[in-house]
Amino acid sequence: MTDLLRVRDLQTRFFTQEGQVNAVEGVSLDVREGEVFGVVGESGSGKSVTALSLIDLVENPGRVTGGEIWLRDADLAAETREDHPDAVDGTFVDLLGLPDRVRRGLRGPTFGTVFQDPASSLNPSLTVGEQIAEAVEVQRRADANPRSVRSRTQGYGLAKFLVGGAVPGRGYLSEESETRAVELLEQVGIPDPAERATEYPHEYSGGMLQRALIAQALAGEPDLLIADEPTTALDVTIQAQILDLLADLQAETGMTILLITHNLGVIARMCDRVAVMYAGEVVERGTLSDVFERPVHPYTQGLLGSIPDLDSAGERLQPIAGNVPSLLDAEMDDRCYFADRCPKAMEACLEDPDERAAAGSADHAARCVLTAMDYGDSPPLPDDHFGNGSDGDSPEGRGTDGNGGRGTDDRTGGDR
Amino acid sequence: MSLGRFLLRRGVQGILVVWGVVTVVFLLRFISPGDPVNFIAPLDASPELRRRIAEELGLNRPMYVQYAEYLAGLLRGDMGFSFLRGQEASAVVFARLPATIELAVAASVVAVVIAIPLGVISATRRHQPADYGATLFSLVGISTPNFWLGIMLILVAAVQFNLFPTSQRPVGFLEAVGHLVAIEFAGPSVAAPLDVRAFADTLGTWLWHITLPALTLGTYFTALITRLTRSGMLDELGKPYVDAARAKGLPETLVRYRHALRNTLIPVITVLGLQLGTLIGGAVITEAVFAWPGLGTLLISSINVRDWPLIQASLIVIGVSFVLLNIAVDALYASLDPRVDYE
Amino acid sequence: MVSDRTKRNLKAELRESALAKLGVALVVLVLFAAVFAPLLAPHDPTATDPKNASLPPLGFSTTENRTTSQMVDGEIQVVEEEVQVNATASHPLGTDSVGRDVLSRVLFGARTSLLVGILGTALAVALGVVVGLTAGYYRGRVDDGLMRVADVMLAFPSLVLAIALIGLWGRQSIAIPDPFVRLGLAPEMPESAVIPGTVVVVVALVNWVWFARVARGEALSIRSAEYVTAARSIGASDRTIIREHVLPNSVTPILVLATIQIAAIILLESALSFLGFSGANLSWGLDIAQGRDYLASSWWIATMPGIAIVLSVVGINLIGDWLRDALDPGVDQGEGGV
Ligand code: SF4
Repeated sequence: MTDLLRVRDLQTRFFTQEGQVNAVEGVSLDVREGEVFGVVGESGSGKSVTALSLIDLVENPGRVTGGEIWLRDADLAAETREDHPDAVDGTFVDLLGLPDRVRRGLRGPTFGTVFQDPASSLNPSLTVGEQIAEAVEVQRRADANPRSVRSRTQGYGLAKFLVGGAVPGRGYLSEESETRAVELLEQVGIPDPAERATEYPHEYSGGMLQRALIAQALAGEPDLLIADEPTTALDVTIQAQILDLLADLQAETGMTILLITHNLGVIARMCDRVAVMYAGEVVERGTLSDVFERPVHPYTQGLLGSIPDLDSAGERLQPIAGNVPSLLDAEMDDRCYFADRCPKAMEACLEDPDERAAAGSADHAARCVLTAMDYGDSPPLPDDHFGNGSDGDSPEGRGTDGNGGRGTDDRTGGDR
Repeated sequence: MSLGRFLLRRGVQGILVVWGVVTVVFLLRFISPGDPVNFIAPLDASPELRRRIAEELGLNRPMYVQYAEYLAGLLRGDMGFSFLRGQEASAVVFARLPATIELAVAASVVAVVIAIPLGVISATRRHQPADYGATLFSLVGISTPNFWLGIMLILVAAVQFNLFPTSQRPVGFLEAVGHLVAIEFAGPSVAAPLDVRAFADTLGTWLWHITLPALTLGTYFTALITRLTRSGMLDELGKPYVDAARAKGLPETLVRYRHALRNTLIPVITVLGLQLGTLIGGAVITEAVFAWPGLGTLLISSINVRDWPLIQASLIVIGVSFVLLNIAVDALYASLDPRVDYE
Repeated sequence: MVSDRTKRNLKAELRESALAKLGVALVVLVLFAAVFAPLLAPHDPTATDPKNASLPPLGFSTTENRTTSQMVDGEIQVVEEEVQVNATASHPLGTDSVGRDVLSRVLFGARTSLLVGILGTALAVALGVVVGLTAGYYRGRVDDGLMRVADVMLAFPSLVLAIALIGLWGRQSIAIPDPFVRLGLAPEMPESAVIPGTVVVVVALVNWVWFARVARGEALSIRSAEYVTAARSIGASDRTIIREHVLPNSVTPILVLATIQIAAIILLESALSFLGFSGANLSWGLDIAQGRDYLASSWWIATMPGIAIVLSVVGINLIGDWLRDALDPGVDQGEGGV
């Protein structure tokens, strides 16, 4: 299988009043075509911000400050080569080298996104059908007239709004789009789709809403479906139905799914390969069996140790003793960010461990000194190493120290 | 509930309120000092003449009889006779009504056309000069008495630069339209139909005269709507559905206007509904500043001479318009927000 | 009634918001002017001085063409001359058409505006809270009846109702002796401050409904709260419950609303004075009405009091914003300006 997406050393930062928050700190991932790739981590680990960085929706005061996002898209590469030669490498295009306008155009046909909370992800005052048709329509217009951005908003704008805005929908949507919206609703298993298309979001149940959102994400026939905590807000039984739906759709269309969740059960059930994130970094990645059966990183081990049965979908991440560290830049240093909670912390861990392949599998890597040495090869850190203020080394990441950083991260999409 | 039934129900409620209004207006005369006869009879009138005038006007009958007759008259469209002007009160009031409606509509158009874009710009360019400018404007705008603003506009635009007239309304909007369509208004039609030139000229004169009054009355609402739109847009733009709309590839124009602004306007309309009284009160005082011949100037002059039929008629027309406007706002609100089931 | 947490919120908001600080500064300034007007004013605001009529404010000295006619040797001669009209430091904001000092009138005008604003609001709060709490607490027929009355009141735009009531009832005013003059501190000033009594009553009558609505809403929501049920079950009387539980909870939203309403009433009072429906002899609106006839020659007469109104209302509105942001009571905006 070939890679669809190669993320290299991605950095996303939030410039808040408390200081600079390194929400995503050097993340690298490869997502292969046709697979389900899982990203797992606690809230505030940077997994959602990573997803938002892909689709260029990191909001102020956040910004992607470094790295590369290579997307395999031969057409786009051919189109881009002339204007932005640096951003093209064979059939791959570095999205971060593209202008905003082009990146916006990728939302829909390249990236479809499903957010966590279905109830608030649809506009309460437009019908579900209209909102899906809108997603179809914008793609139709873009395909019909790829060069002109204007054509995509034609029939809608401030003047139009002031004159005839009280009448919803007229002037923007075409009949074809509305028909297609009904088909999409049918495809995601909504009974009586023509009828339900005319209803408003508040008339839908949570599970139905999430189906509608999936339909909306499918409207642009995306190459990659980003599902950001798609089941978190739902009942357990509904969760299973939505996961089944995603699996079915993937089997049907062969699309690639990037599944972001804090639920290990969901990962185990859905994913081919997986990346574990902690404090803005990918701490371990590999195939599902490598990571789940032969975890190297003590954080992964801790997570897995806390769920007895991988098949139980309802299980949530059990917090390991301690807190996710503050991601404030001023409080970050070179050490392993997990060292204050790690039962195997050693002196060697005080220097940033690089990501290294874990022994045994080329595709399995972890950001931990244990890939190269055994516990005890370096003097273990005393328990109170980080608890002791006089140490001067790093009081960070303890208890409430982390509030500022995590608060911001949550607000800006850390755990959606 | 359907829109029709909703309007019916609000209509019935409205009629009850109007009845209350009429009753209060009727009672006003009884709780006001001064004998209405004094304003009609000559100063040296004999008691006999005074008694006859009172009898003629029905003022010596019991209050409930007068009330019943008053109501019955209103139902026939009879609002009484103004002896001071020698005209039916309803004729006087309805002749004045277009001027007030023109003023209120022009001011609302000014307010909506300026305020909504200004509020959106302010919200989408937060902490930029445009935002600070709009915020300052809206703060000062809601704090400025409009009669003073009108006087300052006259001072600058009319007295200093002679750009606009200081007062008066020589032509009405309908007269301008009368050049295009043959309609009868307040007497025989003055122009042959379909005279485009005359239409443009008359309309120009009308616009020239209504500009300052409309700006005067409209500024408070422009400021208020700007403020509400700004804060509403900021709220809406922070909601997840906005991100979701962007994520499905919608251009920013659609995200802002089709999604965020729509939802912003729902609370804006609620507040505007509460502010309708300010619009009408503001119209009264704006008319006074610009000698605009509408209901406001009529009411004030009638109060000064105690012309009771006119006082009552103009109060009733103002009260009824207010009730009608409120129903219109409710219907608009319900049509924008699907969660309101016309309830 | 004001908890420590509320105080902390208020302080934090004040520290952060430059606009809140500006609002406090403006209101303190206006209050200061109103209270100490007799000591601050350079002249008696009612004293006319035809020799010094229509003097421009400092920095706006102008020349004026004056035409005078004289009898010379039995013939009438028309003389046209250019006269220099100099601003004087004794009248920093100029004088009006009969030579009264504009600055002094602006300072004294603050008294009328604030007195009407505060007294009118206080009366409206008293009336509105009593009606609203009664309606909300007893519900049922009492509630229906009172709220229908409120609907009818709301069907009249407040300015229209106020004009009608004052126009018909007449302009009563109350003179209160000025303490500064009594104590001999400002002997040249007018002996009493005139409160336009009808205006105070009428602005309260046209504005109480907003308070009634808020108080009723609070009473309705608190009535069913558990601790109130508990209080009732141990035999507390309605009066006690209203005083101990319902009233304290209504304080915040009513306070915020009252602030906005003071601004609205100041605007209403100035509009009424402008139209001549007031009994006050010193009022910004009245001065604007007088200055309106001299726009072409003496623009400052109408301009200065208007600036005073804008500054006071901006100040009060900023304080309203500050309270609302800090206390977040979720009040509907009542009927606002004029
Ligand atoms: S690098 Fe050291 S502290 Fe970090 S996870 Fe590995 S063993 Fe633990």
